[in-house]
Amino acid sequence: MLDLLAYDFMQRSLLAAAMVGGLCSVIGVFVVLRGLAFVGAGTSHAAFAGVALGYLMGWPPLLPAILFGLATVWITGWAEERGRMKLDVSIGILYTTTMALGILFIGLMKTYNAEVYGYLFGSVLSVTPEELQIIGALSVLVLGLLLLFAKELYFIAFDQEMAEASGVPARQIFFLLLTLVALTVVVSLKTVGAILVFAMILIPASTAYQLTHSLAALTLYSAAIGILTSVAGVVMSALWDVPSGPAIVLLATTVFFISVFFSPKRVRRARLAHSH
Amino acid sequence: MSDPREPIIRFDHASFGFPGLIALKDISLDIYEGEFVGVIGPNGSGKTTLCRAVLGLLAPVEGHLHIFDCACDELRCHHRAKIGYLPQKGVVDRNFPVTVLETVMMGRYGALGLFKRPRRKDYDIALEALAQVGMESHKDNALGHLSGGQQQRVFIARALAQQPKVLILDEPTTGLDITTQHNVIELVQHLHDELQLTVLLITHDINMIRSRVDRLVLLKTRLFAAAPPADVLKPEILHQVYGKDLVITEKDLVIVEDYHHHH
Repeated sequence: MLDLLAYDFMQRSLLAAAMVGGLCSVIGVFVVLRGLAFVGAGTSHAAFAGVALGYLMGWPPLLPAILFGLATVWITGWAEERGRMKLDVSIGILYTTTMALGILFIGLMKTYNAEVYGYLFGSVLSVTPEELQIIGALSVLVLGLLLLFAKELYFIAFDQEMAEASGVPARQIFFLLLTLVALTVVVSLKTVGAILVFAMILIPASTAYQLTHSLAALTLYSAAIGILTSVAGVVMSALWDVPSGPAIVLLATTVFFISVFFSPKRVRRARLAHSH
Repeated sequence: MSDPREPIIRFDHASFGFPGLIALKDISLDIYEGEFVGVIGPNGSGKTTLCRAVLGLLAPVEGHLHIFDCACDELRCHHRAKIGYLPQKGVVDRNFPVTVLETVMMGRYGALGLFKRPRRKDYDIALEALAQVGMESHKDNALGHLSGGQQQRVFIARALAQQPKVLILDEPTTGLDITTQHNVIELVQHLHDELQLTVLLITHDINMIRSRVDRLVLLKTRLFAAAPPADVLKPEILHQVYGKDLVITEKDLVIVEDYHHHH
């Protein structure tokens, strides 16, 4: 296994996995607490449509991916705020529409393009130095903003109206959160793929949710679980020659089920039920 | 009526809602510093709208609203952080991963403003707020593990951590057993007396608060009365609002049919 670490591509993959795992799992805390799980799924498919358009037109794929992702979350947030539509309905419509666009763009390409499918299923082992730089820069940006606005983000996740009533610019913070979700999804596309990025956002935070009653601890546990399962998933992927995205996600899911089983919350619930 | 005191909150012919769906119409009402005001009225009478307006979550569609001598037609005036709020609340998600102290610390976030991290002083204020509601020994407990009454105390502490001048409570006793309801109202009365807070308390339970409040505000889209309880709880006024004959006994306020039934 140590031989593997000598390869440049392996070093890049592990670094990319650690960054993406950490980023997804930290933003995942706010996504899970604020009930935005479906937004993560919708955004990743919208971003994938952007990637497909990029390849079709010969543009750098991440640029239209960011635009598609941002457009999706902003339209969704706006529709919910106006009371026009529930979040899950508008994201459901955009999710399927952008997926249809993605398939259309792929269909319009004259030749088979394996790279596009890399964004759908993830191929962390083929991350290039340039892509690693982009992942690094966007990770620093998103994590920096999360840290800067952490107390406001926690507050709106817990109770947005209360936050607004006590003078927090809750609306702007909510749109910031949506924007950061979109950026995280785009950063992670190449590593875990459009289909599995959603799992990387949800699973570490949901696992940590089983283990603690403190917001601060939740965030730390989630980050640790995200980074460790991503790195371990890449190692397994290289050792056993299996695709990296599924390796990471299946490992994270296994940890999730173990945490549910040993959750102090579950034990407490069982005790309460027993005592009544 | 002239009053030598300056009002802390002044509604001046203010209406709230949307064109075609006015929740509160033409409200003129002064609330003075240190007053304990009960807000009553049937369901859908605009009680919560009144709170949301004072909190800056709604702007008047007509008229004006002045808070702390500031024309707050603009929402999110900086004075809003001086108003503590206990929202009407369903049961908290029992698994929401937040400790009691983390919950109360959120009361500091609005006052702190963006980009500022809580300091020692903010933790001290939060702990003091917890002590004021008698919950300091629970500071590291999970919010979800507390009883309904204890959770209300924690949410009141969160409002107190803002170091407010005004405390607004929207049906704080809903869903609590009778003893706990009484304890929560006792606590509010105590905080009003001790901290000289101006209190706006929305409730359906007129009997619980009528001996405690300075004034009752009776709403049904319009303002029907804003006066000491004895002047508001008159059968003819209540009939206009509740559409039923209500009778005031020594201690209670009863619907006439039930009253005759029991006597």
